[in-house]
Amino acid sequence: MTATLQILFDALSLGSLYALGALGIALIFGVMRLVNFAHGDYIAFSVFVLLWPTTEAVSILLLGQLPPILLIPVVIAIGALLSMASEVTVFRRLREANPATMMIASFALGFVIKHALLMAYSSRPKSISILPGLAQQVEVMGARIPLLQVVTILATIVILLALTAFLKRTRFGLEMRAAAQDFTMARMLGVKANRVILLAFAISGALAGAIGLVVVVQTGTADINMGLSVMLVAFIATVIGGLGSLYGAVVAGFLIGGASVLMQVILPLEARPFRDAFVYALVIAVLIWRPQGLFAPRSSRQRV
Amino acid sequence: MTRAPSVLARTFTTPLLLIALLAAIAVLFFLFGSGAQQRFVVEMLIRVVLVVGIWIFVGNSGIISFGHVGFMCLAAYATAWLTIPPMLKQISLRGLPDFLLTNQFPFWPSAFAAALLPAIFALIIGPILMRLAGIAASIATFAMLAVINTVYSNWSSVTGGTSSIVGIPTHTTLWVALGFSAVAIVIAWLYAISRSGLALRAARDEPIAAQASGVNIERERLIAFVLSAFVCGAAGVLYAHFLGIITPDAFFLTATFVALSMLVVGGMYSLSGAVIGVVVISTIIQILRWLERGVPLGDVTVALPNGSQQIAIGAVMIMILLFRPAGLMGNRELRLSFRRGPQPAPDREVRGKPE
Amino acid sequence: MKARRPSAFLCATALVAAGALPAAADDIVIGFAVAQSGFMQAYDEPATQAALIRIDEINAGGGLLGRQLRPVFADTSSDRAEGARAGLEVIEAGADLVVVSCDYDFGAPAALMAESNGKISFFLCAESVRAGIQGVGPHSFSASVLAPVQGATMVEWGHEVMGWNTYYVLLDTWTEYNRGICEGFDYKAPLIEGGEVVGRDTFVNDDASIAAQITRIRNLAEPPDAIMLCSMMPGVVSAIRQIRNAGIEVPILNGSGVDGSYWMDAVPGLSEFYIPVQGSIYGDDPDPAVEEFNQRFAERFGVRPSSQYAYPGYVMIDVWAKAVERAGSTDAAAVVAELEKMEGEPTLFGPRTFTSELHHQNQARYHIVKVDNGTPGVIDSWTISEPIPLDALVR
Repeated sequence: MTATLQILFDALSLGSLYALGALGIALIFGVMRLVNFAHGDYIAFSVFVLLWPTTEAVSILLLGQLPPILLIPVVIAIGALLSMASEVTVFRRLREANPATMMIASFALGFVIKHALLMAYSSRPKSISILPGLAQQVEVMGARIPLLQVVTILATIVILLALTAFLKRTRFGLEMRAAAQDFTMARMLGVKANRVILLAFAISGALAGAIGLVVVVQTGTADINMGLSVMLVAFIATVIGGLGSLYGAVVAGFLIGGASVLMQVILPLEARPFRDAFVYALVIAVLIWRPQGLFAPRSSRQRV
Repeated sequence: MTRAPSVLARTFTTPLLLIALLAAIAVLFFLFGSGAQQRFVVEMLIRVVLVVGIWIFVGNSGIISFGHVGFMCLAAYATAWLTIPPMLKQISLRGLPDFLLTNQFPFWPSAFAAALLPAIFALIIGPILMRLAGIAASIATFAMLAVINTVYSNWSSVTGGTSSIVGIPTHTTLWVALGFSAVAIVIAWLYAISRSGLALRAARDEPIAAQASGVNIERERLIAFVLSAFVCGAAGVLYAHFLGIITPDAFFLTATFVALSMLVVGGMYSLSGAVIGVVVISTIIQILRWLERGVPLGDVTVALPNGSQQIAIGAVMIMILLFRPAGLMGNRELRLSFRRGPQPAPDREVRGKPE
Repeated sequence: MKARRPSAFLCATALVAAGALPAAADDIVIGFAVAQSGFMQAYDEPATQAALIRIDEINAGGGLLGRQLRPVFADTSSDRAEGARAGLEVIEAGADLVVVSCDYDFGAPAALMAESNGKISFFLCAESVRAGIQGVGPHSFSASVLAPVQGATMVEWGHEVMGWNTYYVLLDTWTEYNRGICEGFDYKAPLIEGGEVVGRDTFVNDDASIAAQITRIRNLAEPPDAIMLCSMMPGVVSAIRQIRNAGIEVPILNGSGVDGSYWMDAVPGLSEFYIPVQGSIYGDDPDPAVEEFNQRFAERFGVRPSSQYAYPGYVMIDVWAKAVERAGSTDAAAVVAELEKMEGEPTLFGPRTFTSELHHQNQARYHIVKVDNGTPGVIDSWTISEPIPLDALVR
């Protein structure tokens, strides 16, 4: 029982990370059909600003010195600002371009951010210990669970609830949902494209900042590639969930996290190094089964 | 009114021009470049083969594929299995079947067999993947790449695992690479003007209409997929024989994005775009590296700070895409027209492709 | 600005080497085909700097065979194909010794280029057996110690000195280096009395979480005496942090790749963590000459070495120069023959042996560093009782 509970928490906490990532990618995909490959670099960037830029091995806290009450919003705001800046400088001008062009532009942007970080901080991982209070254990029904896992899961639930309320209850939210469903129609009905898209970028970037916080508390390290694996899985979750469906992206994020943890648990030792191969084979299988994704909104069907 | 010239007659200058361009670069560097500079050209030509291979599928079907570098990986490892001296194989690749362990095959047959392996693999997995369209297909190709990478990184007895395997004879000279890229361009062009190529492009632009006119989209996609796997495989063969050393890591995300970037910057719906994209980006990278190393200007040497080169490459790519969202070539091909025949109307998917 | 000094220095040297200053024709050229930008730069730079210190010492002492040593540089940009080209470039600049990138995968293209041109190549700090005869060829050497020796050292020392018998093995399948540590462990563990592996698991360096792996350790009936962790930067820090945060306090062993105190802030109060090092950067090396070297390094480059991986660069020039001296020429065949005669050749960082079968160390004196409450320090030295045989190294 405790073992099952522990596995459940492992799966939920990993799934939370993927779900937050998938949400960030799905939001932007929804409003402008952009697969944003710079998302992983937003994650890394919002963590690195906690450190003083130096190529030496030692790391000196810059913003990391802030008390938690300020630290958390500041990191999230930095993610949001970077994301908005990239919309204004790059993606706004490509809105009419084909999705492949936007995707490659986002990749190029991520490349620039990454190498800027590399120049400022070197490729050596930087150690950084913030929010040390989260390193404790808590007892949940007999199982010892790292506090961070509990916080991650709770934070994800709070973020999801807040976002749902925002999308359902506010005018901005309504506009954004309309834009995600059918952007052209929404514009015709008076939704201001720039505003909605900028907002989507802001939320997406803020989510990247939140992921950065969770990852850095978990690993204690800032590394220029730290956002990559979360982003790739998130990207896949977005598609499996059904493009355009925020709800689907979140569920798929949890599913992939769960599948990954489950594979680690049930595979025999010899097969465990091949874990990712099994997970990705599963992805292909799901896509064959439901090419439009698990929760495809009706609007995503091809119209004749 | 004269009859409109055939597709063949209207378009045959495109491959000729592209090959001539590459040949001119090769000859130029052969005559005036140092050994290290010639390697730059060889590397570029290998990229041409890869990107042209990717174009055969992506350009004609409109589906972005993240998986084609995986085909390169399959062929590169097959090359290693076929051409590493048996003595070395018995040390590092003990899990190979006997006929591979004890034999070493010459360049041409092994190159052909190695490039055939990804084609066969594509033929097997293709019928499953080709049922998907748009971004779901792209993700499925990415999943395929990830599976290939994970398997090759961990199947140590036949791939040497994550460690590089060495001992592959180096056959890829400037002329071999030029020959391969010329053949790749001709294959791509022949496919593009073939019945299947035309049908696939029709399905890309107007899927419903094409289907209604009897185009079997899945079948045409599969043909393009297998053919492009073969050409990308050839790039893998060249790469293995060029560096003499391979590792699964060399055929993963970075290589995928570099290749796709070149394709999109050049113009993903045009064969000339694929080739020009490689030439232009490779040249820019080289110029920036040269600037980073320092350029003597009179008495002082001006150098970009170390690391700024990569930032600049990204920035240049963004600039190109901002000013030419459909790529450098747009949808056009390099072409000499001898006669003012009816020009094909520019395809209309320059903006907003259905995904 | 301190931070930029080292690379600015390399940059300046590169410019001088590229021909801005006329170089004497009879200089002995040492070509560095290493990363000066990109991912590998942070790993290549310290060893390169240490090599430069030895080069300057030799030049100050009258040179080698009466000739001055002159380093030339070509940037690999942390790219494999570019690496091969950098190798060719330094060879075209007349290099007699080609120094290649620290990592086997990134250094091998340049080393192969040297091999096919009949030049000696030295990996700055590669720890795979393939960085030598078994991979690149008969002219290739590595300046560091094989990864399996590190795993074997930890298990043998742990048994003999600490009395540990039961181990849990956690392998990060990301690189060959990680696998190497575990292979050394797996070779040695069955040879020690009462040695037992109570469980095994794998992860990948960039896994977002290793919670599932940790749950498996916690579900063991008895905690092991020690966890043999075979991993490297950056994932290893995350793994250690997650293990400790989960309340698992048993000793953790790893290879030298985790040396350095720069990452320890990530695991506040880290204790019971053990690694082998070739020399101590912490100011407590049993040999005072090592600390003297650290200080010279700091004077020249503004920072102390951040990990033991600077040292192999110094050893490399040292042994190569001795071989050239003894051979009386820089001819590759003659120098290789002299290098292969070295048996227990004393260097600042322990004895070094090269044979005609192995251009690498399959046995080496290691200092054992223990991290106690966040503070690393040398507590012992250990040399494995028997060299690891060649057929255990080459799978």
